[in-house]
Amino acid sequence: MSAIDFSDPKTIAFLTEALTAAGVDGLEISSASGNLRIVVSGGESHVSHGVKASSKPAVIKAPMAGIFQPRNSASADLPHAVAAADVLGFLRVGDVLVPLQAGHSGVLNRRLIEPGTLVGFGDALFEIEAQS
Amino acid sequence: MSSRPDKRPMFDTVLIANRGEIATRIQRACHDLGLKTVAVCSEADRDASYGKSADVFLCIGPSSASKSYLNKDAILLAARLTGAGAIHPGYGFLSENAAFAEAIEAAGLVFIGANAASIATMGDKIAAKRVMLAAGVPCVPGPNTALPEDQSLVEQIALDIGYPVIIKATGGGGGRGMRVVTEPARLPDALALTREEARQAFGSPALYMEKFLQHPRHIEIQVLCDAHGNAVWLGHRDCSMQRRHQKVVEEAPAPGIAPEIIGPVGEACVEACRQIGYCGVGTFEFLYENGAFYFIEMNTRLQVEHPVTELTAGIDIVQQQIKAAQGIPLELTQQQVTCGGHSFECRINAEDPETFMSSAGVITGLQLPEGEGIRVDTHIHAGYKVSPYYDSLIAKVIVHAQTRVEALARMRQALADTRVDGISTNISFLRALLEDAAFAKGETDIHYLEQWLKQRATP
Repeated sequence: MSAIDFSDPKTIAFLTEALTAAGVDGLEISSASGNLRIVVSGGESHVSHGVKASSKPAVIKAPMAGIFQPRNSASADLPHAVAAADVLGFLRVGDVLVPLQAGHSGVLNRRLIEPGTLVGFGDALFEIEAQS
Repeated sequence: MSSRPDKRPMFDTVLIANRGEIATRIQRACHDLGLKTVAVCSEADRDASYGKSADVFLCIGPSSASKSYLNKDAILLAARLTGAGAIHPGYGFLSENAAFAEAIEAAGLVFIGANAASIATMGDKIAAKRVMLAAGVPCVPGPNTALPEDQSLVEQIALDIGYPVIIKATGGGGGRGMRVVTEPARLPDALALTREEARQAFGSPALYMEKFLQHPRHIEIQVLCDAHGNAVWLGHRDCSMQRRHQKVVEEAPAPGIAPEIIGPVGEACVEACRQIGYCGVGTFEFLYENGAFYFIEMNTRLQVEHPVTELTAGIDIVQQQIKAAQGIPLELTQQQVTCGGHSFECRINAEDPETFMSSAGVITGLQLPEGEGIRVDTHIHAGYKVSPYYDSLIAKVIVHAQTRVEALARMRQALADTRVDGISTNISFLRALLEDAAFAKGETDIHYLEQWLKQRATP
């Protein structure tokens, strides 16, 4: 299935029409390629979209609870480039290590949790800034 | 001095596998006993106040209950990571899940609740009825076996019981999977429909049949048992004020029931607990009509309405439940249980007071009642965001006074002093209900509230 192109004027017109018909005030979509925001107000609509490169850094979150163990416990090597498939660290549960993949390519510029800390589901672990 | 002769694993840290007011209540009991607590939460509850007062606070999954509070593996993993030695399930969620209790025990931890076998027995309505009959607990007329497939046999059973009858799913509960049949001609369709509902909702088409009581009250008996064969009952509650099988106001004791009528029933409940080796807290639920009690089910967990019994019996039921799980023998005998005064509990729900639709949002202002004989069990505060994901119960206002009349007056004042801004609540509905003459008189049946609501809706 191909991804929907939210920068296509036809797509934006279709969405605007659907929102107006449904009486919905607005819509915001974030995708890997950028953001789209449509605001319908008093019969008029305003559209804005941007590309991810200028958006906030991606935050890598814990997929489950565990003891946080970064691949490299020293933070002196930050920032450095990472690929989406790179393993940045692990969550340790007993003898089991659950790998934490970057999921985004870019620059790993911050580690948000100290090694050895118990983290819960959804806790923020790393920040990766997309390369322009 | 407490002794601890059995070999249950001792624990000093309790993981509370629940949320909201009951998580706060259990945490208070643990801390009063000198135990450490682990609070777990879903994404939606990350800002919960009880998380800040817990020794460890851990998010275990997304907001959806099926992926967090109902996720057995995530809860067991949290217990392992935090070194918790016991898990308290609270009420709802996994509190009556035999497989969860079994998994906890298999992991070498303590489940603060009934053992898996007791949960399974009481979850099967026919098996539960057999146990109750053996212990002398009065049950609703009807066979203690599942209905046969042969329809002519079922017709004969219904005639023997006498119409109206009620058909129920053996694995059901909470008002689901049941149907009233008033005459023989309606029986075939009712059987077919209820079997299908039972199969879809509970995974088994097995049904049973009982006499349908037309104007019963809902009366409960609270029991407390240890792992050494000691058991007591802590008086009774009236929970007849229900809307769609959900309790709205509870009180203890149940008004107008003479001690010589309820005493033998309480003793029979205790005997049933001894016979099945029950440990922990539990509630026997009865229908009460024309001076007779009829067992309907046993809840093998702490109940929402436990505070009214705590206030009349002067016993911290949650602490006693935890001590029983630690293997500590009961420190009181039946002779030492003395219930005094009268208690009411009103459930404050985040819902529209007219339509009862759930209301989510931020609480912008909050005023809770205070004073002698008033207790509020809650987790909310100004700025708290009521989530749409869970039950709408946000607080319980509980009062105690020497007499029912005094307790009712105290509750009216407590509700007048309660204000929750920013969301809709049922407070105005509760205030109106407490002004109703029949409620003030007491002894209304389980259908009263629905009829009262219908009358209010009629212009």
